[in-house]
Amino acid sequence: MSHSEVVLEGSGHGHHVPVFEPSPFAVPAKKLAMWLFIISDIMTFAGCLIAYGFLRNAQPDWPRPYQSGTIISVMIMAFIMVTSSLTMVLAVRAARAQRRDEAFRFSMMTLLMGLVFVALHVREWFSMMHQGVTFSKNPWGTGLFGGAYYSITGIELLHVIAALIALVIVGMGYKRGRYTSVDLENCGLFWQFINIVWMFVVPLVYLMNVAG
Amino acid sequence: MTNTQQQQDGMGKCYVVYVCMLLIYAIELFVTYRHPGAHEFLGTLLILAFIGAALGVLYFMNLASENRNAMIGFAVFTLFVLAAINYGWTDSFRILLGVPYAK
Repeated sequence: MSHSEVVLEGSGHGHHVPVFEPSPFAVPAKKLAMWLFIISDIMTFAGCLIAYGFLRNAQPDWPRPYQSGTIISVMIMAFIMVTSSLTMVLAVRAARAQRRDEAFRFSMMTLLMGLVFVALHVREWFSMMHQGVTFSKNPWGTGLFGGAYYSITGIELLHVIAALIALVIVGMGYKRGRYTSVDLENCGLFWQFINIVWMFVVPLVYLMNVAG
Repeated sequence: MTNTQQQQDGMGKCYVVYVCMLLIYAIELFVTYRHPGAHEFLGTLLILAFIGAALGVLYFMNLASENRNAMIGFAVFTLFVLAAINYGWTDSFRILLGVPYAK
């Protein structure tokens, strides 16, 4: 007899009736899986940011190149990211209430803001490349700066792009009835996680390196 | 209280969190251009980032309304590992300062 099946005594027939174990923490299995994935991803970002802090601390000639133009751009990205998190919350709430059109509308608003975020991010990268920042050298100081910068912001950008792809697939699938509100909620969890990571990237990678 | 009222109350909290997150970025920007000392600067930025993250996890990711055991389980596990990762910091000071530990 498998773990997921028991014989219900007193059922009168003695046949096997599948009874599933209750989900741990009373959280739907898909959602629990997403939480576990997010926890593992937290470790990835924490590892990157701590490695970055380690390098920055150990290099006396760490450059501080960011001018006000870059910081304004980063703050606009932060505003977009926080606002898109709110629209994602609204999408999830609408989905829970089975208001499919509204949920789809808010999902697409989130998607649009995500695309603007990606565009600004790529523009920021081109600006850095134009200034001569590569993985191993830059005009200002230790060559490790570029590697750290592109690694951390690159992983963030990769996550945003992955989330946008997921949002297109799940958002449209939800509207057509292919996916449930739990699926959209999982997308929302991932999007919120990216927003939270950006809350650490902005101060540690950008604000701490403002020219001054 | 009806379901609609409950939902509206919940949304009110989310709007407050949204404003708080924007305020956190504004304070970080303000602190940056005040040019404080390195330790004070890093400490302030990290505290603000952790407050923002906690608000996001609790209210945007709805962990506050999940099962209490789930909340405690996720939080304890994550915070423990995050704390444990920090053991490497002392070594970055060793690289910077060199002797006597580098010998």
